[in-house]
Amino acid sequence: MFVGLENSAVGMWVSTSLWAYPFLLSVHIVGLAIVVGIFSMRDLRLLGMFAALPVNTFSNLGKLALAGFILNAISGLLLFSSQASIFVTSVPFLSKIVAITIGMILAHSIQEKLNDAVSSNTKILAAVSLICWIAAIIGGRLIAYIF
Amino acid sequence: MLVSFAESIVDSSLTQWIQGTYWLWPVMEITHFIGLTLLLGGLIVIDLRMAGFFRSIDPATTHKLLPAVIFGFSLNLITGILFFYGDPMRYSINIGFQIKMVLVLIAGVNAAVYHFKVDPLLRTMDRSLASPAVAKVVAYTSLGTWTGVLLLGRLIPYVGTG
Repeated sequence: MFVGLENSAVGMWVSTSLWAYPFLLSVHIVGLAIVVGIFSMRDLRLLGMFAALPVNTFSNLGKLALAGFILNAISGLLLFSSQASIFVTSVPFLSKIVAITIGMILAHSIQEKLNDAVSSNTKILAAVSLICWIAAIIGGRLIAYIF
Repeated sequence: MLVSFAESIVDSSLTQWIQGTYWLWPVMEITHFIGLTLLLGGLIVIDLRMAGFFRSIDPATTHKLLPAVIFGFSLNLITGILFFYGDPMRYSINIGFQIKMVLVLIAGVNAAVYHFKVDPLLRTMDRSLASPAVAKVVAYTSLGTWTGVLLLGRLIPYVGTG
């Protein structure tokens, strides 16, 4: 199945086109900055930093973070398609996907709490979320180093 | 200038240490990525408010994020210098790296305009009003140049000499 994806028209385009892979990597890092940038500021705020900034600032930014996530889901899927059979057995890659999945589920829960006073429960969610996004970055970088 | 500097450090003990420490490069990359999320994450909030979005929020409160931005920039300045020392002959002649550095300098000048002109203006203005033109220009210049920095940084391995 994953070899099939690699040999599909899309997979072949990403792996053989001179510019497709670097172009997709460039899109992916802009998406990363939007998603993890907004979520890390939100989590740090919920954990008590920048206390003068209203928490519901991040309620306004939820849609932008989601747009960044969609951008990266698409660019990520295309990057994946070029070397699917390698990625699918990569421990850093699989760890990254788990971390992102948990991070996005937490983002959904946290989004609904941004107009309320920050509870200790929300702080725990923010701490786990922050760890997930850092783990996603570490996993993503290590794909190139650990096979 | 960049190339002659690279030639002067290429045999330095720092360069040899970076090249000889196998785990260091991925650790520096991870740190550089965490730094960029702090830098961009803070700036997205500050710049969008400065450009006139979510006006219910006092712009001065978004400026509380500046320590995160400066911390992220510091992480990336340090790791960036170490990358350059780790492979000086490759970075110094790379067109992607060269344009990236020019964009960082433009972003720096823009940050100075923010600090000396826009910040005092935002402190005294009625926050329900539309952002002044100079604030919008500075906000979009900031987001534009840093996005360019991200793109060019990622392209360094794929582009050639300048």
